[in-house]
Amino acid sequence: MPDRPEREVRRGRKGRRKVCGFCVDRAEFIDYKDVAKLRRFISERGKILPRRVTGTCAHHQRALTVAIKRARHLALLPYTSD
Amino acid sequence: MAEGKNLYETVIVTSAKLGEEGSAALVERFKTLIAEHGTVQSVDDWGKRRFAYPINKQNEGYYTLINFESGPEFTAELDRRYQITDGIVRTLIVKRDPRHIAPKKPQKPQAQEDGGIDVEAIAVEAVAETESAE
Repeated sequence: MPDRPEREVRRGRKGRRKVCGFCVDRAEFIDYKDVAKLRRFISERGKILPRRVTGTCAHHQRALTVAIKRARHLALLPYTSD
Repeated sequence: MAEGKNLYETVIVTSAKLGEEGSAALVERFKTLIAEHGTVQSVDDWGKRRFAYPINKQNEGYYTLINFESGPEFTAELDRRYQITDGIVRTLIVKRDPRHIAPKKPQKPQAQEDGGIDVEAIAVEAVAETESAE
């Protein structure tokens, strides 16, 4: 088990490992007022992008979700768009 | 540590129907209300902003952010006042963690993007590191 090469874990799908952008920035909290930043984590339809897409760590994804929902409440971000 | 005092921030969104003065007067009333129960630390007027979605068939509103300090019992009263005041479209009251106080300016939609490229570069580096470690 410890000798398992990383290739096999990724099962042939190429791609670089994603790193949580908030960890890189050493972000302690995620501001719901920072609309420009939050926008990067929602889809075109206004949905919150999953962790597997953005590479955000679990800790920051939870904080991000709260921030996006606050921003939506204040109409800084859309709930949906069509 | 201040006994029983917390830091809060609140955002008031007032209807664009009130106009600039009407909304400023409304915000002023809440400022004095907050000042009676605590201390207003800073007020940030974001001005008129477009909503991300229409609220009450309107597309714009005036946003004001107020940072204040008060006891925890005041937030319920403040919220109650928000609910019964005409002309207020949306409000938010959030407790601020004193460890996190890094004042950030509210950003207009055209604010600059940053960090995106850096993250990519670091990701590549991290992969290269793990590969060479094997």
